[in-house]
Amino acid sequence: MLTALIIDDEAPSRDELKALLGAFADVEVVGECANAIEGLSAIHRLRPDIIFLDIQMPRISGLEMVGMIDPGALPRIVFVTAYDEHALKAFEEHAVDYLLKPVDPQRLEKTLDWLRSGACPSFRQLPGMTEMLPRIPCCGRNRIFLIPISDVEYVHTDISGVQVVGADRQGMTELTLKLLQERTPLIRCHRQYLVNPDRIHEILLQENGAAEILTHSGKKIPVSRRHLRELKDRLLIA
Amino acid sequence: MLELENINHVALIGSLMQQMCVYLAVAYMLSKTPLFAPLMQVTVRLPDKLVCYLVFSGFCVMGTYLGFQIEGAIANTRAIGAVLGGILGGPGVGLAVGLTGGLHRYSMGGFTASACAVSTTVEGLIGGLLHIYLLRRHRADRLLHPMIAMGTTLFAEITQMLIILAMARPFDQASRLVAHIALPMILSNAVGAALFMRLILDRRATLEKYSIAFSAKALRIAERSVGVLMQGFDQKNCSRMAKIIQEETGVGAVAITDCERLLGFVGIGADHHIPGTPISSQHTFQAINNNEVVYADGVDVTYRCSVSKDCKLGSSLVIPLRGEGNRVFGTIKLYEPKNKFFSSINRTLGEGIARLLSNQILAGKIEEQKRLLAQTEIKLLQAQINPHFLFNALNTLAAVIRREPEAARQIVQDLSTFFRKSLKRSGTEATLKDEIEHVDAYLRIELARFAGRLDVDIDIPEELLNLRLPAFTLQPIVENAIKYGVSQMIEPGRIAISARRRNDQMVIVVEDSAGLYKPSPESGGMGMNLVDRRIKIRHGEAYGIEVSCEPDQWTRVAIRLPAEEELVTC
Repeated sequence: MLTALIIDDEAPSRDELKALLGAFADVEVVGECANAIEGLSAIHRLRPDIIFLDIQMPRISGLEMVGMIDPGALPRIVFVTAYDEHALKAFEEHAVDYLLKPVDPQRLEKTLDWLRSGACPSFRQLPGMTEMLPRIPCCGRNRIFLIPISDVEYVHTDISGVQVVGADRQGMTELTLKLLQERTPLIRCHRQYLVNPDRIHEILLQENGAAEILTHSGKKIPVSRRHLRELKDRLLIA
Repeated sequence: MLELENINHVALIGSLMQQMCVYLAVAYMLSKTPLFAPLMQVTVRLPDKLVCYLVFSGFCVMGTYLGFQIEGAIANTRAIGAVLGGILGGPGVGLAVGLTGGLHRYSMGGFTASACAVSTTVEGLIGGLLHIYLLRRHRADRLLHPMIAMGTTLFAEITQMLIILAMARPFDQASRLVAHIALPMILSNAVGAALFMRLILDRRATLEKYSIAFSAKALRIAERSVGVLMQGFDQKNCSRMAKIIQEETGVGAVAITDCERLLGFVGIGADHHIPGTPISSQHTFQAINNNEVVYADGVDVTYRCSVSKDCKLGSSLVIPLRGEGNRVFGTIKLYEPKNKFFSSINRTLGEGIARLLSNQILAGKIEEQKRLLAQTEIKLLQAQINPHFLFNALNTLAAVIRREPEAARQIVQDLSTFFRKSLKRSGTEATLKDEIEHVDAYLRIELARFAGRLDVDIDIPEELLNLRLPAFTLQPIVENAIKYGVSQMIEPGRIAISARRRNDQMVIVVEDSAGLYKPSPESGGMGMNLVDRRIKIRHGEAYGIEVSCEPDQWTRVAIRLPAEEELVTC
C-alpha cells in the first residue's frame, strides 16, 4: 500500500489527480494541500510515501519546496506540471519522474510501477534546492506568510517547533534549524538558536564564557560557550 | 565759373572723367551695402523699385553737384542715374528718377535750368522705354549689358543736347554751350553708364561665386553625411560626422555634443577634447539652455577653452541641434584657431549643417521607432500563444468534464472565444468592447482553474465601450495580474478592471489584491513592457502604463491612452 499526498494550488487539478489515483487499489490519497507551506507541514505530519507535487504554486514553487523538506522525512516525489521547459529539462537530466497536465492515466500507471519498484532519484541536485533561501515560510495565527531573511532576527526551537522571530512578527516554520543553517546566512549561536548577523546590535560577554546577543529590536538571545568562538570567527572578531 | 573760351574739349573730358571716377567710387562703396541688392537684377517688386528710385535719384543729384558750372549751365554726369534707373527699374522709376533729378537741377537755376529738367526726365524715360522694349522682346538679360547702357546713355545725351538747343534761350548762347559740352558730356556719361553697369555685373558675379562655393560645400557635406547619423546619435557616428564637416568646411575643429557630453571631436585640440567627457563650455550650455546660436568670435565675445589653457582654439560657433517640437538634443560646434578668423561662409553653413544633422537624426529616430514597433508587434503575437495558459486550461477542462459536463462546455466556448480574439493581428486596432470580451473569456477560464481562489470585478461604463485602442493591450496586463499577482497569493485574491474617461484621455485600471509587483524585467512582465512600449511609440511619451503598488495590499496598473472614438460606418 502506498500513501500519497497531492500538493497543487488548483482545486480542479487536485480533484482530477485524486480521481485518477482512485483507479489504483494500492494507492491511498491521505491528504491534499493547496500550497507549499501547507504541503511541508502535511509531509512532516503524515509522512506519505509519495507526493504529487505541482511546480507552479503561490510564493514557493514545488521545486523550492523540495529543498525545504526535512531530509529525514523526504518522500518519493512525482512532479506535476502543465508546462515548464526549464524544470522538464532538469528532470530529464536527473531522471526525476514527472507528469504532464492534463495527466494521462497510462502514464500515471507507468509512474506508479516505477515507484513500486523503489527507485529513488537524487532530488538534491535539482535546481532551486541548493540555492540560498530568500524567505522563510511561516504559519502565524490563522495566517500563512513569508518572512524575508533580512527581516528575521533569530530562529529557535522549543517544544512547539521551530519559531522564526522577526522585528515585528513571528511564526512557526516547518523548516529545521539544520536546513536553515545550511540554506540561509543565519549563524548558529546556541544549540537551539540561529541568529541573523545583520540584526545583531551587540554581544554581551558573560563571566562563564557564554554570551548574550542583543538584536536591533532589543531581543536577547543566548550564545553558548561552544558557539561563541564560531560566532566570533564569522563576525571577524579576534 | 568757367568761360567757354577758356576751356578745351580735352580738358573738359578729363574733368568729367575725374568727376565720374568720384561718382563710381561712391557707387562702388554703395555696392557693398544691402541697398545694392535690389539693383543687381531687373527690378519687379514695388519695395525694390522704391529702393531703385531712391538710389538712382541720389546718383542723379550727386551727378549735378559734382558737375562744373559753365556760363550758367552745368557740365555733369546726371544722365547716368536717370538712364540706369529707367533701364533697371522700368519707365515708372525712370520717369520718377528723371523728374527728381530734373527738378533738383531746375532749383539750381541758370539759363538751361528748365531745358535740363525736361531733358533729364526724358532721359529717365528713355531708359524706361528700353526696359519695356527688351522685356517685351524677352531679352531681359540684355538690360544689364554695359554696351546697351552705354548706347542708351549716348542716345539720351544726344537727345538732351537737342532739347537744350530747342528750349534754352537765348539760342546762340545755347548753341555755343552745346558745341562745347556736347562731346565731353555724351562721352563721359556713356562711358560712366557702361562702367556703372559693369560694376553691378561684377558685384553680381562675386555674389554668385560665393553662393556657388557655398552650395557646393553644403551639397558635398550633405552627400557625404547621408545616413551617418541615422544609424544612431552615438560617439562613433558623431566622430565620423565631425570628420566629414571638418574636412569639407576646413574649420579648425568640429565638435558634436548631446546635452550632456561630447560625442565627437575632430581637429585642433583633439588631444584634450575627449569624446565621452561631459560638456564644460559655458557657450554650449548657453546654446542648449536658450536654444540659440552662440557665436564667440574671440574679439567681442571672448572664447577660452574650458578644458585646457594651452588650447589653440580662439573662436567658436555653437549651434543647437533641434529635434521634435524644436527641443534641443545636442549641439554642433565649429572652432577656428586663434590665428584665423571665422569665415562668414562657414558661419552661415554651420546653421545649415545643424539643420541637416537634426533632420538626419530625426529620420533615424523614426526608422528606429518603426523597427521597434514591428519588433514589439511580433513579440506580442508570440506572447498570445502562451503554452502555460493553454495546458493549464486543458487540465482544468479535463477535471471539470468529469464532474460538470455543462460547465466544461462553457469552458470550451470561452477557450475558443479567447483564441479567436487572440488570433486577430495585434497590429490592428480594437474597441474597448472587443478587448473586454477577450479578457472576459480569459478570466472565465482562470476562474474555473483557480476555483474559489479568484474573484473578478469588471466595471466599464457603457459609453466607453466604443473607444479604440491597439488590439491585445488589455489581456497581457490582466494575465500579469493573474500570473504575478493573484496566482501567487496563498489566500483568495481579486482582480478589478475599470475604465474612465478624462477629457481626451482614457484610463483603464487593472488592480489585483496581491501587491507583489517588483519593477524588475523578469517579474514585471514582458507583456506589460511590450504593451507600454507599443503605446508610447504610437501615441507618445505622455501615454502608456503606470504601475503603483502597496506591498501585500494591491498592485494597480493604469493604462493611459488617447480617447479615440470608433468611426461610425453607415
